[in-house]
Amino acid sequence: MALEVVNVYEHPHYPNVYIIELEDGSVRLATKNMVPGKRVYGEKLYQWEGEEYREWNIYRSKLAAALVKGIEELPIKPGDSLLYLGAATGTTPSHISDIIGPEGRLYGVEFAPRVMREFVTLAEERKNIFPILGDARKPREYRHLAEATDGLYADVAQPNQAEIVADNADFFLKDGGYMLMAIKARSVDVTKSPEEVFRREIEILKNRGFEILDIVHLDPFDKDHAMIYARFHRRSKQ
Amino acid sequence: MEKWLVQHAVGAFLVNENNEVERFEPNPKDIDQAVQEAMVIEGWTRGIKEGTEKVGGLSSAAKRLLENLKEEGFEGTIVFETEGESREASSMGFEVKVVPANDKAIYVRENVAELSVKYGMMESKEEFYDWLHKLTIEVVRRKLRSVAQKRDLLAVHAVRTIDDIDKIINLLIARLREWYSLHFPELDDLVKDHDLYARIVAEIGSRDAMTVERLKELGLKEDLAEKIAEAAKKSTGADLTETDLEQLQKLASIVEDLYSLRRELVDYISYIMKEVAPNVTALVGPVLGARLISLAGSLENLARMPASTIQVLGAEKALFRALRTGGKPPKHGIIFQYPDIHRSPKWQRGKIARALAAKLAIAARTDYFTGRDIGEKLKEELRARIDEIKRVYQKPPKREEKAERKAPPARKRGGRRPPRRKGGKRRGGGRRRK
Repeated sequence: MALEVVNVYEHPHYPNVYIIELEDGSVRLATKNMVPGKRVYGEKLYQWEGEEYREWNIYRSKLAAALVKGIEELPIKPGDSLLYLGAATGTTPSHISDIIGPEGRLYGVEFAPRVMREFVTLAEERKNIFPILGDARKPREYRHLAEATDGLYADVAQPNQAEIVADNADFFLKDGGYMLMAIKARSVDVTKSPEEVFRREIEILKNRGFEILDIVHLDPFDKDHAMIYARFHRRSKQ
Repeated sequence: MEKWLVQHAVGAFLVNENNEVERFEPNPKDIDQAVQEAMVIEGWTRGIKEGTEKVGGLSSAAKRLLENLKEEGFEGTIVFETEGESREASSMGFEVKVVPANDKAIYVRENVAELSVKYGMMESKEEFYDWLHKLTIEVVRRKLRSVAQKRDLLAVHAVRTIDDIDKIINLLIARLREWYSLHFPELDDLVKDHDLYARIVAEIGSRDAMTVERLKELGLKEDLAEKIAEAAKKSTGADLTETDLEQLQKLASIVEDLYSLRRELVDYISYIMKEVAPNVTALVGPVLGARLISLAGSLENLARMPASTIQVLGAEKALFRALRTGGKPPKHGIIFQYPDIHRSPKWQRGKIARALAAKLAIAARTDYFTGRDIGEKLKEELRARIDEIKRVYQKPPKREEKAERKAPPARKRGGRRPPRRKGGKRRGGGRRRK
């Protein structure tokens, strides 16, 4: 039986993220559902005071895990434009889409046709999601389909993920824009310790104009994962 | 002097060193054409192998902009973001430079919505984003279509399954009605809809439990529910025990499940068909479209068929009988299911079938070979032709005099055919006229 909701309120630290209290005392993260009645990945829907909320599963979304682990701040605001690398079937993008709302835009880049099929269906339902079937390693191939954005979110699990993120920032991220990047230590180098891998990736980001604001480890929700939060300072290129 | 040329799906921008847009040439606003341009900029071609280096190029807008510049005698360097673009421009006679993600490109990408409004291409930023949303989805669909490996066959199997399910449902519902009529014979006449009949039996079972409220819960209308409840009280059927009814109810719920599976399959087919054959789908809808592919064997086969074959797909028996006996060939095969054919008077059907088949042939070829989306255009043209047929051939044609019409002599089966022309060779088989 589904548990009754006893209270819903905005997260004190992260605007537009909601906390749902259930009758058994447990709490859930959630976002306001932009398309009421529709589930994206089988998550639970909760009704409270005439609004519908979608549970944000911390085991399925690294961004949700980063919030639970207390990342410095959630820079994503209503009306923002975002470039999202590694959109997959759209679990995390759907929550970001809820947060940025109808005025925002999320450009979701995904390489694999199989998962893209699902992501397009999501994009058809949500007018703020713009799907791009392309290779995140080559931002020039989709430069004409997006715009310069306020934020960049990356979850690409590639050995050279820091370079990929920096290349995309060069093409799309506004000066002073924010960047959130999930690093999977095991995809970079299995022989090195996660700590060492994170340090090296951060070094690369710093050299490419990023100011690191926070790093949170995502254990126990995602093993050997970390979320890096940074700000981008654009360097002039004539 | 340097100038920067920045390409976007919306068009080409020429920017000067002060971050001012000096010129703008729009790409076509029509989504289908805009997709073509976007593909050119990316350097994506159909059937491109994964991992091959794509060579991006200049959209027609960018080319136009550069040609104008050339005519005006521009002398200086043009800065591009990719090698592909610069190579094309240098073959047009320009001095070129390549700086990916240069400041001017960022400027354009930061202001692309405002700029497209400023230069009159869009009414508002909202319109720009709506347009870009449609465009990105269409670009993805176009790419997915070309990697769609045998996905047309999924639709084929789904539609064949629907036909199988229909046969099974008919068989089972006939049994169910006969069986349940032992208990409640009056229901057979009261509920003609099979789905509903099965639901009532599965959910309620015994006629004694058929109250108005219970029936309304199943979605029946007030008056029908009352009629059934009334009939249940006065029923002439035999009383059945729980055990007797249990088996019946199991059968009924299987029929119900088959109906829901059928509905899901219809949704599934429209999802697949939108992806693999959007133009065919636009013309005749997903299910009939899938039937055509099923009869042809695959989308490729359908795309290689002449319109005249598509017209009679599914009427092979009638067609070959006509060819054999020299009688009248069929006017339509499976496309008879198209509402404008079977709802029209007989004398118009053949003409409409011919027009539809012709458009279908174009649609199937576009779906298979280019993946472009021209469904709306085809639909409009077909609509216009059908309206014309309805206008011109309003009245049935006058009956020809029996004597005037000489039916060709019926050939005997298997017998030797008389020579057609004296001394002449028989013509090849391909040119028989229907």
